[in-house]
Amino acid sequence: MRSVSVIGIGETKMGRLKTQTLKDLIKEAGNKAIKDANIEKEMIQALYMGNFNGAYWSTQSHMGPLASETLGLGTIPTIRTEGACASGSLAFREALIAVAAGVYDVVLVGGVEKMTHQATEKITTGLASASDCLCEADMGATFPSLFAMIANRYFHEYGNIRKEMAMAAVQNHENAMLNPNAQMQKLITIDDVYNGFPVASPLTVFDCSLITDGAAFIVIAATDVAKDRGLNRAIKVIGSGHAGSALTLAGKKTITTFESTLKAAEIAYKEAGLTAKDIDLAEVHDCFTITQIINTEDLGFFTKGQGAKGLAEGKTARDGIIPINTSGGLKAKGHPIGATGLSQIYEIVTQLRGEAGERQIKKADIGLSHNLGGTAATCVINIFSGR
Amino acid sequence: MNKKGTIFTYSIVYSASEAFSDKTPYVVAIIENGEGKFLSRIDDYKEEMNIVVGMDVELIDTDTDIPLCKIV
Repeated sequence: MRSVSVIGIGETKMGRLKTQTLKDLIKEAGNKAIKDANIEKEMIQALYMGNFNGAYWSTQSHMGPLASETLGLGTIPTIRTEGACASGSLAFREALIAVAAGVYDVVLVGGVEKMTHQATEKITTGLASASDCLCEADMGATFPSLFAMIANRYFHEYGNIRKEMAMAAVQNHENAMLNPNAQMQKLITIDDVYNGFPVASPLTVFDCSLITDGAAFIVIAATDVAKDRGLNRAIKVIGSGHAGSALTLAGKKTITTFESTLKAAEIAYKEAGLTAKDIDLAEVHDCFTITQIINTEDLGFFTKGQGAKGLAEGKTARDGIIPINTSGGLKAKGHPIGATGLSQIYEIVTQLRGEAGERQIKKADIGLSHNLGGTAATCVINIFSGR
Repeated sequence: MNKKGTIFTYSIVYSASEAFSDKTPYVVAIIENGEGKFLSRIDDYKEEMNIVVGMDVELIDTDTDIPLCKIV
């Protein structure tokens, strides 16, 4: 398989983007990525588009041709990938495989979602479709309630980490203050988290990621092709893993550690020839505060049951040993479902290029992105090297 | 199916989907009954109730396929 690099990135500001249509978001982020790659559109040989629920929230399916026409990409093949909140990373992963296999040299990967124009009940119903409709959603289990059940079980097995969960939200909001693309430019306190609306106990609204409009695009190319064109800002993809587990919470072997993360991480670390110790920073899927803490354990940054302690000790802060979600994460940068995985990659690439401005971390050579879909039923992990 | 079980984990839902918005707050739980685990709602939740992991529950007979348990 050939080495593959990221050669261009682009994203919109995340947030409540009332006046921008899906096409406006695609146009802005897509053209930014193509311009950033410094290539002609004619070089793009395929488009992979991540989108979760355009059909339900925007009555828009067939996202591939929609994006291709919007960006003026002619007759190239397009495909839309769907894996709930991991839809964007799945598009990236499939594009990566195609370029590594030699099918294409240059591919555009995009993700988009528009959510904020819908009422909360319709957002909740749409998100619940990422779980098992008959066995979960139709019985009244909302998406937050599934992760709330994970949190309560975690408390039972490892002790109450309510305070550290709140601290994860506080930290992500601090990071978002330094990210101009973040939706939430506002500091919060631990008390704010405790006193927020109790969406699904023990989670309050401040434990939950945001409802967001946004798009993110990435251009990837065979590393040799990038070198031939003198694209010296290329960031290599050195490891990639994709794994799954049972869709239902009740069907999982364990709910306080995610098997999909363990497996995808094992594959990605092995391919990269690295361990968790070698990672300088990571964007992990903080759909809820409990998820961020579990992810940092599953990825091997902390031993099982010690993730909350690591966070409380500042180890995941921007100046810690393993900075987590320097972008502000899903919690404060925002969670435009289909674009989220690509926005995570946008942050890692920005950091590895040394272009993260005020939030730039000192040692950023190796970065990892971790994206979950559903109740951790899908996991995609990518490892990048800026060396 | 064994109708007696215990709460493996639970959550009290205050923000529901369209179909359940008139039922909040209500409890969803994963029940362990010795044969396996399944998701169920807990009937007749009152704010003063103290739901905990390990609590004994029993399946209620209903005219639907949707499991519903009560605290015993």
